[in-house]
Amino acid sequence: MGGGPVGKQARNTARQQRLARAAAERRRAKRNRLLATGGGLVILGLLVAIVVTVVNAAGATSRDGDASKRLVIPAGATPAGAIPIGALTAPVKAEVYLDYMCPFCGRFDRANVDELDRLVSDGTLRLELYVLSFLDKTSNGTRYSTRTANAVATVADRAPDKVLAFSQALFAEQPAEGSDGLSNDQIAKLAAGAGVPQEVINTFTAGTFEPWIVELTNTAFDSGITGTPTVKINGTVFKGDLYSAGPLTEAIMAAKDR
Amino acid sequence: VAELLTRLRGVRHATAWIYGTMLVSAGLSLIASFVLSIDAVRLAADPQTALSCNINSVVSCGAVANSWQASLLGFPNAFLGLVAEPVVITIAVASLGGVRFPRWFMFAAQVVYTIGVVFAYWLFYQSMFNIGALCPWCLLVTVSTTLVFTTLTHVNIRDGNLPLPPRMQTALKSAVAADLDVIAVTIWLLALTLAVVSKYGNTLFG
Repeated sequence: MGGGPVGKQARNTARQQRLARAAAERRRAKRNRLLATGGGLVILGLLVAIVVTVVNAAGATSRDGDASKRLVIPAGATPAGAIPIGALTAPVKAEVYLDYMCPFCGRFDRANVDELDRLVSDGTLRLELYVLSFLDKTSNGTRYSTRTANAVATVADRAPDKVLAFSQALFAEQPAEGSDGLSNDQIAKLAAGAGVPQEVINTFTAGTFEPWIVELTNTAFDSGITGTPTVKINGTVFKGDLYSAGPLTEAIMAAKDR
Repeated sequence: VAELLTRLRGVRHATAWIYGTMLVSAGLSLIASFVLSIDAVRLAADPQTALSCNINSVVSCGAVANSWQASLLGFPNAFLGLVAEPVVITIAVASLGGVRFPRWFMFAAQVVYTIGVVFAYWLFYQSMFNIGALCPWCLLVTVSTTLVFTTLTHVNIRDGNLPLPPRMQTALKSAVAADLDVIAVTIWLLALTLAVVSKYGNTLFG
């Protein structure tokens, strides 16, 4: 009795609900397809960007390597590519391989600065600095290692008695590895503070000794240096504690007595 | 081709594949955590071990291991991996063997692992931008943690283990069915790769 209309209505409602669900399902499927297509495009774009970046990075390095400029060697530099500091007649020779961007080189220098100063000035020690540029890659493209190494080489060439003070100033104000490093102006200021004449400072940006630095960096690593700081005392690698004052001095004094 | 794709999708949503991936990823994470823990112990015994800067300053230099971020909770982070990954491995193996865990259990696993993933990415960010060095084992942890997280999320959405509003559950389920999760993870990992190569490409391919 009278069940017909109610049943029909219920059937209609159920049908409408089914249709609505189907429509929602279709909408979702469509949206998912769109998202999948967009995602696919993003993936393609990322792959292209990665390939381009890698190719560029590899290309940039090989360009760095070619010495298009003339090789100029600083006055007084040793054949192996070191900048000498101190008396030729000193009984002990300490070779220091460093990069002005290397944090541990900074720690080494700041720990031993006073002792090295003293030993050089009293004629016990002849320092030979190898200013490497292998950490250029860690200064966001500003080539901080090369800029500082070139500045130090320039000072060695034209104001050799200021090299030690300038080198120490660079370590005292050492920038964080991975930063842009100090600007050319800041490097110039440090040089001025170390007593380097202004006309020498003005030639820093010419990059005169950059090809020489590339060469000495390669030579150093070819000769078996595996990292910085490396310190050799009379040719033997010093294996003691480089980061506190004392042990290095003791080793130098021992080498002197030998 | 269409048939192959359908079959591949079937495999991808199968329990064996999901937990298999989880098992392998958790295994890799465990190996990496183990190596990093040993390194941490060796560094503690002899701080000079990794002190000299290596040629490749970006990869290693001891910088990562010596940073405060590397032992945020007062002990090397890698110890957490030694504790957590075996649990994940157990869940994966049990599930492969047919065990079905209760919903609350899987939800709890999801919550804890989400915290782990956040921590892994915090570390990745720190080493990328604040420490300025990358360690290969840490990168392996980052990637495998991501894979464990995605497989866990995948299975929890598939089985409806998460306490979500019904509409969201339906939307997520249909997104997973449409493989949007794979696309999202692929995009994510490629973006990470791009970030690493654009910041450190000069060193890595020099």
